[in-house]
Amino acid sequence: MFYKTVSLWLSISLSSVVFAQHSFNIKGVVLDSKTLQPIEGVNIIGENLFAVTASTGTFSISDVSKGNYNFKISHIRYSPKIVSVVVSSDMELIKVVLEESTTSLNEIAVTGQTKKRLAKETPIVTELVSKEYLETNRENSLMQTLSKIPGVSTIKIGSGQSKPVIRGLGFNRVVVVQNGVKHEAQQWGNDHGLEIDQYGIENIKIIKGAASLVYGSDAIAGVVDIEPNKVPLAHSFNGEVNLLGETNNDLLGISLGLQKRNEKWFYRTRLTYRDYGDYKVPTEKINYENYIFELHDNNLRNTAGREANANFSIGYTSKNITSETFISNVYAKNGFFANAHGLEVRVSEIDYDASNRDIDLPYHKVNHFKIINNTSIEFNNHTLLFDVGYQNNHREEHTEPTSHGYMPKPDDTKEREFVKNTYSLNIKDTFKPNEKHTVVAGINTEYQNNNIGGWGFLIPEYNRFTIGAFAFDTYKINTDLHLLAGARYDFGILETKSYNDWFQSTVNNEDGSTSYIYLQRAQNKTLNFGNISASLGLSYIQNNTTYKFNIGKSFRMPLANELASDGVNYHMYRYEKGNLDLDPEQSYQLDIDVSHKFKNSSIGISPFINFFDNYIYLNPTSNYFQTQQIYEYTQAKVFRFGGEFRASTTIFDNLQLNVAAEYIYARQTSGPKKDFTLPFSPPFSTLITANYQFKDLGLLKAPSLTADFRITADQNEIVPPEETTEGYEVLNMSFITSISALKKSAPLQIRLKLNNVFNTEYYDHTSFYRLIDVPEAGRNISIALTQTF
Amino acid sequence: MLSDFITHTMKLTIKHFYFLAFLILVTSCSSDDDNTTDLDKPTILVNYDGGFPQACQELSKGETYSFSALVIDNLELASYSIDIHNNFDHHTHDDQEATCELDPIKDPINPFIFIENYAIEAGLTSYEINVSIDIPNDIDSGDYHCSYSVTDVTGWQRITSLDIKIID
Repeated sequence: MFYKTVSLWLSISLSSVVFAQHSFNIKGVVLDSKTLQPIEGVNIIGENLFAVTASTGTFSISDVSKGNYNFKISHIRYSPKIVSVVVSSDMELIKVVLEESTTSLNEIAVTGQTKKRLAKETPIVTELVSKEYLETNRENSLMQTLSKIPGVSTIKIGSGQSKPVIRGLGFNRVVVVQNGVKHEAQQWGNDHGLEIDQYGIENIKIIKGAASLVYGSDAIAGVVDIEPNKVPLAHSFNGEVNLLGETNNDLLGISLGLQKRNEKWFYRTRLTYRDYGDYKVPTEKINYENYIFELHDNNLRNTAGREANANFSIGYTSKNITSETFISNVYAKNGFFANAHGLEVRVSEIDYDASNRDIDLPYHKVNHFKIINNTSIEFNNHTLLFDVGYQNNHREEHTEPTSHGYMPKPDDTKEREFVKNTYSLNIKDTFKPNEKHTVVAGINTEYQNNNIGGWGFLIPEYNRFTIGAFAFDTYKINTDLHLLAGARYDFGILETKSYNDWFQSTVNNEDGSTSYIYLQRAQNKTLNFGNISASLGLSYIQNNTTYKFNIGKSFRMPLANELASDGVNYHMYRYEKGNLDLDPEQSYQLDIDVSHKFKNSSIGISPFINFFDNYIYLNPTSNYFQTQQIYEYTQAKVFRFGGEFRASTTIFDNLQLNVAAEYIYARQTSGPKKDFTLPFSPPFSTLITANYQFKDLGLLKAPSLTADFRITADQNEIVPPEETTEGYEVLNMSFITSISALKKSAPLQIRLKLNNVFNTEYYDHTSFYRLIDVPEAGRNISIALTQTF
Repeated sequence: MLSDFITHTMKLTIKHFYFLAFLILVTSCSSDDDNTTDLDKPTILVNYDGGFPQACQELSKGETYSFSALVIDNLELASYSIDIHNNFDHHTHDDQEATCELDPIKDPINPFIFIENYAIEAGLTSYEINVSIDIPNDIDSGDYHCSYSVTDVTGWQRITSLDIKIID
């Protein structure tokens, strides 16, 4: 086996404690040779002596008698090292530097399974996102951070809110899971975000493709699975503070995270606060249809916001049982662009330009409260996992009241209110009857109760109960060949509640008379849905090449608004009409993923082909209701294909180049919009990244400079009422380094970021504000500081 | 053995895989050409000799007016609507690039509301809207909006809005 050179040096600081004449303490720290960051979870193994490094990279072994010892220092990602230590009364702090091993994968294949190796073995196309990735790529919202991954994009409104889109599909076709429980906000809405704190997340698994088998309804396009953080190491206490400042929207953010574990009990907490002003766009006026909105100081009027999040968890871990209970609350208040709310142009007496930090009408506020318990029990060959959750999502949208159609001017500003309670229970058993098979079986149940308020009507109140059962087997045919096969059945009951307007409308009857009635906009209905999902996949690892094939069938239950809505959405100038006859959406998808690792580079391609029997789509018709265009929920067959390409290479030691490209083709092959694409289709896009790793510059440790260059093609594939969007190129730069101010403490990590270097005026086809011709944010300089302790 | 069979099949499939990827790439480039979908919105013209009302026009109560506008589409027109509602709160200005002088803000008591939809006969690419509307005597005078909207058979829509005034 070939190992890169291992460097080791001993520093001169004095060890502190000697607590008996013949018994000493060994103390040390293990660092990454490249970044000089502490490495957590390194095994320090000597004869009858054992320690594991904490997140600060430190370890200590007490009660050691005088003498010579050899320790094996090993970590799954690094080349192991043998270190000799002389234990005596004047012990020094041992500093070990480990080199990341390029060949460690071969070793891992024999000794155990890393997440990387497991990801290779599963036939499902997955992307693993680590804490390091999140930290070095962090943008204003979690989904904006993840949108650098090929195949992942966002539907966003404003500077801090966005929702996931996987391969062109979003809203209720992507499932977001946090700590094992499906995140239930108002996913169908396009003008708010995810309501998840993006700090304190360690691992995210992104599944691109049909994933209903494990995740149930809605996982048609994929899953963003925010995994529970790993249990802290025994007898450890650590934390971090993150500070963030941005120039474009004058953002100030602070986040504090702490975690502590005794022998068996552990707790964690995270507090985040962010406050930002209106964001700046690289234009002085917005031209929308025939309207011209002059902008003050390039500020996109009234897009300021603030966010306050808190979460706390307490856990217990022993040999066979680990249980953790999370309580979290995410609160956000954001203004919406004042000149046009939706498509509706508004004139107001409010002095929006008095301050760029105030949040005037229209705005929304949203609060998401969660309690989740994850418990895993191991016995014999079983691992039983219970996830129990309660979520409350409360969103209010406030607008200056005005009369619309037959609706008189309302008395207050509360236009919409949604209160959704979700109760979840998931039970999953992973059973390994022998070396060859891993069988996973489980049940997911969920009860939802959605309430509405305010003077505007968009979706009805409803109750929904779903239950699903699944089982799949991963069959290890040989070390490099894995087969996954599984099936699932879901059953759901949806009860929609009737809704009548609070005002009278004029109705001209056929006999020539006129009546004034409270129009009914939603009906009392109980609907049942049942569906089978299935998945069959194969993965094959041939030396440095990994192949994956997966065929899956996924589904989505129709939403209450798709079934039962019947009313005018004045902000969008349309009358939305539901259809009680909608069937569950069914999607069949073939995914392929091939990746190959050369000596200094890697390449990968992941194409897919996808067919929908009955894609649910809000179709703009040619007809009017009360002078509003009628949009009707219809179902159409849809054919899609596309995929991602990625390549990375190390040109010389310190320069790394990455290219990632994504492409989607979508066609409706039946229905009223036959031959059209789907709404919000992302354009062909390529992201080129260059990263240069410098040598240490005095106090600056491991400085590195990254340039991201995104080239996006025109999007001429549109469907009414969309507009085509021109292509663009935009450059972002970032500089990351750390400073060791104090010898003994962890270094201060610094990230300087310059987004949209040339202040380019460009439009994002999948931004909500694209509809009213608002360009993306202009140049932004941000500074992020992270101090771990 | 099953594993040998699968390994063998996999190797065969792998050979074809690059071909498949190439095929997809080619299809994706060529299929854009057969795009025959209608991507054009209809248009509305008010600012012509016969167009009524014009921006900032004053209409008298008790009178009957013929509301006229020209609508045009590349493929086929479908329906149109006329919406007259008050602008007593100055909630919007019109999009006809005219700045009309508005009365002070006030609360509506009995505002005029006109909300009607009409179908356009099949097969037309241009059509002149002509609708006779009575302005009642018992309504609030003041600033109003008159909106025309039109759709084509594809589902594209165009809306235009004019500031008008209803006087005693």
